[in-house]
Amino acid sequence: MILINQTMKRMAGVIAAAALVFVTIVTGCAPAPASEPTQSIELSGTINEAGSTSVQPLAELMATAFTQKHPKVTINISGGGSSAGVKATAAGTVILGAASRDIKISEADIIPICIARDGVAMVVNQANPLTDITIEQVAKIYAGEITNWKEVGGDDAPITVVSREEGSGTREVFEEYVTGRYNKKIKADALFFDSNGAVRTKVTAEKNSIGYVSFGYIEGLKALTVGGVAPTIENGQNGKYPIVRRLYFLSKSTPTGAVREFIEFCRSPEGQKIAQDEGYIPIVLK
Amino acid sequence: MEIKILIRDLNFYYGSCQALKSINMDIYGNKITALIGPSGCGKTTLLRLMNRMSDLVDETHIEGRMLIDGQDIFDKSVDVVNLRKKVGMVFQQPNPFPMSIYDNVAYGPRMLGTHNKRVLNGIVEESLRKAALWDEMKDNLHKSGLALSGGQQQRLCIARVLSVDPQIILMDEPCSALDPISTLKIEELMIELKKDYTLIIVTHNMQQAARVSDFAGFMLLGELVEYAETREVFNVPKDKRTEDYITGRFG
Amino acid sequence: MSNTSSTDVTKPVIELRRIYDVFWRYAIYFFGAVSFVILLLIALFILREGYPAFEKIGIWQFISGQRWDVADSAFGILPMIIGSLYVTVGALVLSVPLGIFSAIFLTDVAPKKVRKIIRPAVELLVGIPSVVYGLVGMLMLVPAIQQIGQGSGDSILAASIVLAVMVLPTIVSITEDSILAVPNAYREGALALGSTRWQMIWNVVLPAARSGIIASIALGMGRAIGETMAMIMVIGNSIIIPDSIFSSARTLTGTLALELKYATGIHWNALFATGVVLFIFILILNSFGILLLRGKTK
Repeated sequence: MILINQTMKRMAGVIAAAALVFVTIVTGCAPAPASEPTQSIELSGTINEAGSTSVQPLAELMATAFTQKHPKVTINISGGGSSAGVKATAAGTVILGAASRDIKISEADIIPICIARDGVAMVVNQANPLTDITIEQVAKIYAGEITNWKEVGGDDAPITVVSREEGSGTREVFEEYVTGRYNKKIKADALFFDSNGAVRTKVTAEKNSIGYVSFGYIEGLKALTVGGVAPTIENGQNGKYPIVRRLYFLSKSTPTGAVREFIEFCRSPEGQKIAQDEGYIPIVLK
Repeated sequence: MEIKILIRDLNFYYGSCQALKSINMDIYGNKITALIGPSGCGKTTLLRLMNRMSDLVDETHIEGRMLIDGQDIFDKSVDVVNLRKKVGMVFQQPNPFPMSIYDNVAYGPRMLGTHNKRVLNGIVEESLRKAALWDEMKDNLHKSGLALSGGQQQRLCIARVLSVDPQIILMDEPCSALDPISTLKIEELMIELKKDYTLIIVTHNMQQAARVSDFAGFMLLGELVEYAETREVFNVPKDKRTEDYITGRFG
Repeated sequence: MSNTSSTDVTKPVIELRRIYDVFWRYAIYFFGAVSFVILLLIALFILREGYPAFEKIGIWQFISGQRWDVADSAFGILPMIIGSLYVTVGALVLSVPLGIFSAIFLTDVAPKKVRKIIRPAVELLVGIPSVVYGLVGMLMLVPAIQQIGQGSGDSILAASIVLAVMVLPTIVSITEDSILAVPNAYREGALALGSTRWQMIWNVVLPAARSGIIASIALGMGRAIGETMAMIMVIGNSIIIPDSIFSSARTLTGTLALELKYATGIHWNALFATGVVLFIFILILNSFGILLLRGKTK
C-alpha cells in the first residue's frame, strides 16, 4: 500500500515535471495571437485565484506588484488548500489555481507552473544545544523510535514531537522527503498544529520540542543543519538541502491574456525578487 | 399584662431622612396590636425594626432602644438569625417558596437542623393545624405551594412562621391582597393565635383593626400620635388628628 | 339604536390594517419556515457529503475505530469522541461551580461598588477573540501544566481550563440574571424565618433560579463543544485515546478545523461524517438538557 503510494507520488512528480517543461515551452515560444507582448496595449480583466494557503501570501504580494503596473487588472487571491485549488481549476471555478505540492496522477489534466520553491526547515528551541541532525534521525523521531534527545547527541530529555495536520502541504513535503524515505509514519501521539505560525509558537514555548516549518518561519527558532547542510536559500536553489518543495500556479489550459502576463511576471526576476525577500527560494532563471 | 416589647425614644433614619420620630411604646404579650395610619407614616418601618429586617436596607441609622423580653435587640451581641426565629413575619404578598406545601412548612425546622422525618411530619401537621390549613391540605402536601389560592397561600406562610416556634408574629398588611372571605378566615386565625403568640399587625383597613386588635397605635409622619386600647382609640380619640383619620376626613 | 351603521359588528369591512394583519401573519410563517429550511439544508448537506464514508467504512467501524490514518485510509473517530467528551466535561466541572458562585457573589454578597467593576469585567471576557485565549493558553498555561504534570503540557487539562474561562461569562451572566429574577419576597421570607444568608441562597434562591441556571449550563456546554480555535492550540491534537487529564487528545471539532481545508475524496467524506456524529452528539446533549429542565421544573 505504502509502496504503491510512493510510486504514485513519484509518477506524479514525473508528470508534473513534464507538464512544467511543456508549459515553459508553450509560454516561452508560441506567442499568443491575441496579446502581443508589448507594453503599449493596456491589459485589463479579472483573475480569480484559489488554492494552497502556503502560496497565498506570496501570490498576494505578487498580485499587488502586478496590479500596480496594470491598474485595470483585478486579481482576487483566496485560500482553500492545494486540493481545493486543483478541484477549482479543474472545474473552471477559477482561472488560476495554486498548489504547494506536486500534481497527482489523477489530476493530470491540470497544468502546473512553478512560481517558487519553499524549503522545509527542521527547527528546535533556542535553548537546545543540538546543531545537526540527519534525515534518518528525524524520521525515527517522528515515528516514535527515538524519544530522547540524548539518542541524537543532545541533552537527556524527552522529545516533544510537533507536526502539522493531515493534508498540510508542508507536511506532505516532510512526509515525502523525510519519513517516507524510511517508510515510516508520523506517530499518532505527536502534537498537531494547523499552521507554520502555530508550530513556531509551540517550539518557541517548549524547550524539548522539534518541529518543521517553511524557511520563511525560521526566525526566533534554531534551525538545524540537515546532514551538515544549512537551510538557506542558496542550498535550496543548488539542490544541496534535501527538504524542498515547489509552489505552483495551476491552469486548465494554456494561459492567455492577463493571466499569462501575470504568470510571466511572477516568473520574471522582478517577481522572483519578491519571493526571495519573503523567505522563499527563487526558481533558477535562465 | 406582661410587656413583651418595650420601645423607648426610638429614632430611625434612611440616610438623612428621618422615618421614625422618638417612638415610645409598650406592646403587650398575647395581645393583638394594630398599627394604623396613612401610607408612608412609618408603620411598616417600625414593624420591620422588630425583627431587624430593616438591616436589609443600606445606610440606615438607629437611635434609642427596643427591648424584647428585656433584651435590647439593637445590641451588638444580638444574633439576628435567632431574633428572627423568635420574631416571625408574614408579608403583604403571600410568598410561599416555589416548592411543595410540605417543604414550605418543613423549610424552617430543616434549616435549624431537624431532619428526622417523624419529627418533621409532626411539626408540619401541627403548624398546618394551627394555621387552619391541615384539613384542606392533608391529602395534597406534595402539591406546589404556588398552586394554592391567595388566602391559602397566606395561611401557608403563617404555618411556615409557626413551624419555627416563634413568640411574636409580625404581620405586614396580611390581608391586603386577599378577597373578603379569605380576609375573614385570616382574622379568625389571628384571634385564635393570640392565645399562644403576641401579634403585631400593620393594616390600612380600619374595620379590621377595630375587629381584631386589642391595642391600636395611630402613626403619622413618623410619629406615634396616639396609642391605647383599640376601643379607646376608635371611640374616644384624644388627638384631633386621630379622630380625623378614623372618621375618614384624612388621607 | 340611531347609529347602527357604525356599531354593526357583523358588517365585513376591508380595511388596510386587516390586510396588514394577514400580510404579517404569512410573513412570519415564511420567515419561520426559512430558518427551518436552512437548518434542514445544512443537515442534508452534511449528511450527503458524509454518507459515502459511512457506506465505505461502515458506521460501527467509523465510530468505534481507534485509528485515524489518512494515508492508510483508516478512519476511526473513537479517540475524537472520547476527547470531546473529556474536554466538555472537564470544562463544565471547572466552570459551573465557579460560574454559579461568581453569580451569587455578584448578586447577594458583593457590595454595589465591587459589582459595578466585576460585572462589566466578566462581560468583557466574551468580547476577547478566541485566538487570544488560545495564545495565552499556549504560552502560559501549557508550560505551567508541563511543570506539574507529565508530558508536553498540551493536554485535556489545558483545553478544559481555557474552555472553562471562555464559557464562564455565559454561565455567570445568565445565572446572575436568573438569580436577580428571583422575587425579593422569597429572600425576605427565608430571612424572616431565621435563615442565615447562605441558607437563604442555597435553599431558596438557587432552587428558584434553577431553570435559568440549567439554561446557562446548556448554553455554556454548547459553546464548549463548538469552540475549536482556542482548543486546537492547547490540546496537542494527538490522535490517541487519552488516559489522563495530562494526556494530549483530539476533539471532533478539532479534527474538522484542522483537516477540512485540504481534504479530498474519502478523507473529505470522513470529515463530514465526523460532522454528522457531532451533530447527533449535540442533539443528544441538548435533548438531555431539555429533559432535565422539564423534569426539574415540574
